[in-house]
Amino acid sequence: MSFYRALSIRQKRTLWAWGFLAVPIIFYVVIRFYPTGNAMVLSFQSWNLLGDREWAGLANYRVLFSDPVFWQVFWNTFKYLLIGTPISLVISFFIAYHLDKVRFAHGFLRALYFLPFMTSAVAMAWVWRWFYQGVPIGLFNNMLASVGIGQVEFLNSTTNALPSILAPAVWAGLGFQVIIFMAGLRAIPRSYYEAAEIDGVSKWTVLWEITIPLLRPTIVFIVVFSSIGFLRIFDHVFNMTTNNPGGPLNSTKPLVLMIYETAFRSFDMGYAAAQTVVLFLILLVVSLIQLRILRDS
Amino acid sequence: MSDLALRNLVKSYDKTQVLHSINLDVADGEFVVFVGPSGCGKSTTLRMIAGLEEVTSGEIEIGGRVVNNLEPKERDIAMVFQNYAIYPHMTVRKNIGFGLRSSKLSKPEKEARIDEVAGILGMTDLLARKPAQLSGGQRQRVAIGRAMVRDPAVFLFDEPLSNLDAQLRTQMRLEIKKLHRRVGNTIIFVTHDQVEAMTMADRIVIMKDGHIQQVGTPDEVYHKPANTFVAQFIGAPSMNLLEGTVEDGAVSLTGGGSVPLTQVKVAEGRAVKLGVRPEDLHLATEGDTLFEGEVSVAEPLGAETLLYVTLAGREIIATGPGRNPPKAGDHVRLSADPAQMHVFDAETGAVIA
Repeated sequence: MSFYRALSIRQKRTLWAWGFLAVPIIFYVVIRFYPTGNAMVLSFQSWNLLGDREWAGLANYRVLFSDPVFWQVFWNTFKYLLIGTPISLVISFFIAYHLDKVRFAHGFLRALYFLPFMTSAVAMAWVWRWFYQGVPIGLFNNMLASVGIGQVEFLNSTTNALPSILAPAVWAGLGFQVIIFMAGLRAIPRSYYEAAEIDGVSKWTVLWEITIPLLRPTIVFIVVFSSIGFLRIFDHVFNMTTNNPGGPLNSTKPLVLMIYETAFRSFDMGYAAAQTVVLFLILLVVSLIQLRILRDS
Repeated sequence: MSDLALRNLVKSYDKTQVLHSINLDVADGEFVVFVGPSGCGKSTTLRMIAGLEEVTSGEIEIGGRVVNNLEPKERDIAMVFQNYAIYPHMTVRKNIGFGLRSSKLSKPEKEARIDEVAGILGMTDLLARKPAQLSGGQRQRVAIGRAMVRDPAVFLFDEPLSNLDAQLRTQMRLEIKKLHRRVGNTIIFVTHDQVEAMTMADRIVIMKDGHIQQVGTPDEVYHKPANTFVAQFIGAPSMNLLEGTVEDGAVSLTGGGSVPLTQVKVAEGRAVKLGVRPEDLHLATEGDTLFEGEVSVAEPLGAETLLYVTLAGREIIATGPGRNPPKAGDHVRLSADPAQMHVFDAETGAVIA
């Protein structure tokens, strides 16, 4: 106790701060950092989950980069990102911008948009899967048929399947993005708009020169968050293509699904770890590039 | 011609009426200050003139045309907001230029206009900066610049100085007044600070609860207040109000004492309030004592000392000398020139003249 008393106020504070911080730090080291490091080591080894881990050097990466399926999957993953992020950004901003002006049933409408975000992705994927079935089961094809348009193969075509899976994924994330956008819109002082009104500039100018620039931090947040989400897409794809995961012909397979299959169907843990490391690097690079571009220019 | 007129102006929110038939004429080039406690309707009136709030009934005329149904941009006005409303992501030049966005001037003309305004406001060196790199006073000037650049018929200021510290406020007060003298546009200025109103205005409009209490020059509202509200609102410290009744040509004060009534004739027995400004109430010399009491607190201000004197169970404020003033606990005799006193009706608060 005399040791504690001899400390200065600053030293005491530091001691307490580290005391409290120790709990999450230990937790993170054990649950996050150790497995992460372990996976990185594993990516240079070969392991079938039961036998001994054997050193394999760069063999896993060599196999990966020469695997045509990997490049197909790599490209798919970026398609999810490049189509999903801008579409969800524009739609959620459009909804938030208008919902912000609506007074009638405002809370109810907001809840309605938020609902998909709270719904289980698995349940949603299966409902959408039903939407996409052919006549007489699927909702969309029935609607098309009733106005005289031919059948569309949503999930069974190599070109349509990826956008068809992306649609519910975009829809599911929308509620969250709308809420964030609305909070951002609310944070802009009213007097900015009133000043613009007195200056007599058009609504379009206000939108592009006041609202959107002032929403920049919100936009950065949403872009980075939704990008990470799309790069890690898995449950929608897995559940909507269960009989042929990532099909048809790997046209919808994202990286996470490939990792899952390598690890838990082929039990090639080292190879799966190598894929995981590649995914991690993609996420890291994409996030850093976005932050660099979108931060204050 | 850029005079402004308010005719029977009324504003209601649902069933709550917040402005009750405001009538006011403002001459071209006049500096009019709306002053009153919060919730008195001064900002609402300003926002109605600006076109940010709809008129419930009555008319607003700017330069001889009724503008009730005109958009703000069509009214030939500019406004400076309390939080300045300058855009943090734009440079000073772009912020000032924003006021010209809808104007039909050519680009070089606009640039020349921005430079001219920046020159008048002494911020030519700051044009490339962003608001975050400016001090409070400089931001304020940008906001004024954005209003000036449009050369409007009427400038509207909504409590523009209340976010500044005391010293800067005094300085900006002076700058705005000089600016007015230089550009000569009509200015409507809203504030809750009576010192700002007194120092800047050509005419002051004192409001309370959605009614105009008095309109007059600073001199008029100070020396001839129309009622007890104006009397106590204008001037710091506030005017002392002493209750009494008129007896034998003098006011017999409640709680003792009597003050001769020389300035006005009031019917015998009428209940009145006698108003005396603290600076008119000073230590008595021989023989002219009006009141006697004990000093409860003495506040030295340097040039003078405010004396809080307990007098027949109530406190009044008097002024003592800056040197060797009475101390708390001292017994003092006070006197005032009856001609400097104001007589108000005890019930309505209206001045009796």
